Amino acid sequence: MARAKVEQQQPASGMTLIVMVGLAIAFLLFMAFLNVVKQGNLLNESNLLFAALIFYSGAGALYLGFGVTGTESYVKFASFATWLGLAANTAAVAHRWYEAGHPPFASVYEMLLSFVWTLALLTLVAEKKYGVKVIGTVTMPVAIVGVVLMQLLRTDVHPLVPALQSTWLHVHVTLAMLAYAACALSFALAMMFLIQDNMKTETFLTFTSAGTLAIYASVVLTRFEKWGGLNLAAWNPENKAEVFLSKGVRLFVTIPDLGWVMALALLIVASPLLFCGLARWKRNSSFLTIANRAVFLSILIQVMALVMFLIRAREGRYPSLDADGLFPTSLAASPFILSALVGGIFLSLLYLLLLWRRKDLEALLPSAVQLDRITYKTICLAFPLLTLMIAAGAYWANQTWGSYWSWDPKETWAAITWLVYAGYLHMRITRGWRGRRAAYFAILGFAVVMFTFFGVTYLLPGLHAYA
Amino acid sequence: MAVEFSAVARKTWQTIASIKTGVVLLILVVILAAAGTIVLQRPVTEPDEMQNAYSPQVLRILDTLGLTDVFHSWWFLGLLLLVSSCIIAASVERFPNSWRYFSRPYKYPDESFRRASHPQKSIPIADEESGLVAAQRALHDMGFKPERIVREDHFGIFAERHRISELAVYIVHASLLLIFFGTIVDGFWGWRGTLNLNEGQTSNLVELRDGSARKLPFAIRCDSAGQDNYKDGTPKKWWSKLAVVADGRDIKKKEIVVNDPLLYNGVRFYQSSYGPNGKVDKLSLVAVPSNGSGAAQQIGLAVNDTVSLDANTSVRFVQFIPDYAVRDGQVYRKSNELENPAVHLIVTSKIAANAKDKDKDKNKDYDVWLPPMEEIADNSKAPYMLQATDLKMGHFTGLQVSHEPGQWGVWSGVVLMGIGLAFVFYVIHMRFWAVPVCDPKTGRFSLWLGGSSNRNRDAFEQRFIELVAAVEAELENIPNTSQQEQVAGTAGQRTGSLEAV
Repeated sequence: MARAKVEQQQPASGMTLIVMVGLAIAFLLFMAFLNVVKQGNLLNESNLLFAALIFYSGAGALYLGFGVTGTESYVKFASFATWLGLAANTAAVAHRWYEAGHPPFASVYEMLLSFVWTLALLTLVAEKKYGVKVIGTVTMPVAIVGVVLMQLLRTDVHPLVPALQSTWLHVHVTLAMLAYAACALSFALAMMFLIQDNMKTETFLTFTSAGTLAIYASVVLTRFEKWGGLNLAAWNPENKAEVFLSKGVRLFVTIPDLGWVMALALLIVASPLLFCGLARWKRNSSFLTIANRAVFLSILIQVMALVMFLIRAREGRYPSLDADGLFPTSLAASPFILSALVGGIFLSLLYLLLLWRRKDLEALLPSAVQLDRITYKTICLAFPLLTLMIAAGAYWANQTWGSYWSWDPKETWAAITWLVYAGYLHMRITRGWRGRRAAYFAILGFAVVMFTFFGVTYLLPGLHAYA
Repeated sequence: MAVEFSAVARKTWQTIASIKTGVVLLILVVILAAAGTIVLQRPVTEPDEMQNAYSPQVLRILDTLGLTDVFHSWWFLGLLLLVSSCIIAASVERFPNSWRYFSRPYKYPDESFRRASHPQKSIPIADEESGLVAAQRALHDMGFKPERIVREDHFGIFAERHRISELAVYIVHASLLLIFFGTIVDGFWGWRGTLNLNEGQTSNLVELRDGSARKLPFAIRCDSAGQDNYKDGTPKKWWSKLAVVADGRDIKKKEIVVNDPLLYNGVRFYQSSYGPNGKVDKLSLVAVPSNGSGAAQQIGLAVNDTVSLDANTSVRFVQFIPDYAVRDGQVYRKSNELENPAVHLIVTSKIAANAKDKDKDKNKDYDVWLPPMEEIADNSKAPYMLQATDLKMGHFTGLQVSHEPGQWGVWSGVVLMGIGLAFVFYVIHMRFWAVPVCDPKTGRFSLWLGGSSNRNRDAFEQRFIELVAAVEAELENIPNTSQQEQVAGTAGQRTGSLEAV
């Protein structure tokens, strides 16, 4: 039914979206051009990044349009826009490299720059080589969030501290980027496999709500302050840096009332999961309908929480529990909360896409058997890369700290990641695990990767303080 | 009894060798290692930080369980050893099979194998020889070295590539064991410590992690050390010029920087920190005679140095306090940080300005404190007005010292693992068989083609389809006339049995 409706609409809506996106890109480029003419400096990094952002946004809109309507012609324009965005992104990377004199891996900003570049490249590879056209629907929004985050972060080239002046560092980080990108790809493929494997839509609802729930739970648990405040890192606008009380101890400011908003969001975001559980427990599918409605509500409250967060945390001076007086903060001081909030909304929207367009998605994706195989292949790529990344890191550590393995949390978690994927390979090769169990394993592996990448840096102490 | 014992032993062996045990052990390692990253670890945390983080009871429980030092506890080491023995057992258990597979390749597929094999294809052929020649040529064109299998009652073509891939997984397991071996060697015979040297100092005592000292058979001297900065003031480079001294001779010299250590006799010296050692390298002063009858002079002195200002007067640098406080007419050292420095100087005059005859040969000492402290000493009484212009602090270089005899095991293990993984994932054992088959009912010949690969089956199937197409193309190219000659020439012994059919 849905499919028939879509096919009827195609001719009209197909052209409309392309024309609209094209006009929007042209308009933004024109405005940017006017701005550049005023400044008189065309090829600087922020302009290049802005161009990349415009193209990626256009591509993202078209890919999303493709995901929703299944119109083939969108993909052609979308991948063209991605090519242009990638070109601008490449120029930005090259510019950065030239300016800094070292490959762009030294700060969170530079890592993001390289990450977005890799992501765009892999999207095009997956599309052209493996025919997974819908992948842009997932990766392009991530790339857009990445570029937007970059605008907030400290961008000035700052020189490398002595420990980072090593070729092995670049080898290590490049391998890490490639390995993590391959892991991300295997995760996306495993998810698509689950769709093709006729996994129930409500199981995905459990996944996505659990994801958003985890986001708000961690925000509330770590940042909620007494009487409804939310703790955020203070920001020094002159230095464009966080404020440190002493070595490694950040100064936090408390934004009043924002904590309540987050707590409320936590409650409402938990509700789809609750109704889902009820539906399973009582075996009553009417709870599922309620759960799907609750997803709408949760998206609304999430958008509200994001907007409140943007308004309150963008600028302004707030009191702190650790020091007297008012201190400024900025969005740049909490990039990970911001991206977590955006990610939560994105996750819920992906679920809606699945809920409405499952049939079309199934028609678009390669078969389950094929997806299972490609997932395995990407892990076959990721695992050697992970191994080499750990080896290069160990060699570098040996050159710098005199010890190739010191059980630092990042190292330990890298080893855990390696073990999880080693487990996957053993179960698959010797036990013949295929299909759903293998897909769950791949998803678990990526969850561990995400924890190693973000969780360890921000939750656990250690030597990897630079990145 | 002996039977029972061997039964138990076999059972134990099978348990250790099973993949289930391996996975359970790996899950345990993962959980414990994760716990080790979440609970603060004693070796890398200050004791009072531990006490702040946990209540005494919790801390006692954590300590008893060994969770505050997971990675050096006996049970974690034991677990890793158990994993190693698991890997060894599983490899030993499975190796003979793989070795048989490797050493005696299956070259002629029998009927039951042909029936079950996938992928496979039968192509009608005019006679046996033309089919074999076509298969041989097609495989040759695909880059294989086809082999003609001639047995007493059958023949066929066999071609394979990368048989070594069947053993690759053992290379990976062996490399992992090599890495474990290296780390165990380091655990028992390796050590790590620190050595702080002031510029010009020589030492052979390394302070180990547990606080004890280790005497090296040679000494290290730091000739100079320093820090280079970027324009914005952040450190760019720390360097130390080191010399290895043994038997009073300089044996080796090297300027080390971060990431580039000095290696001597299996001991590595790493640049790890650099900073002021709290001692004064040189204090610069301007001295002006108090009575105004003379020019100002510049002097520089270190602690305990004495410099003469004129024929009868000299100044001695008695004491340096990096962070001072004055209380009850006394100067105290508040801390060792260079916060609020004070220097104590003594100006000694042979003849006091208002000297009487009996004091003539006596020295008179005047205490001078910089900055001036009225409660302690009156600087203005001294014959010279002293003013500090510069205070240059001495520096030390912090070296990490380590001896890791097992690291070569680790690095060779890593290289071996890279090679092994490349073989496991990207080198595929491919086999092709071609067997001419005669249908007993119709008497017609067909060429049975089969293939197998140990990995990447879908790509292999594509390969197989290509092979089938190539064989079909070759069959068309073989002219019928030459077929008879070849049959007569190369497969003469089979003609007899063919006729019998």
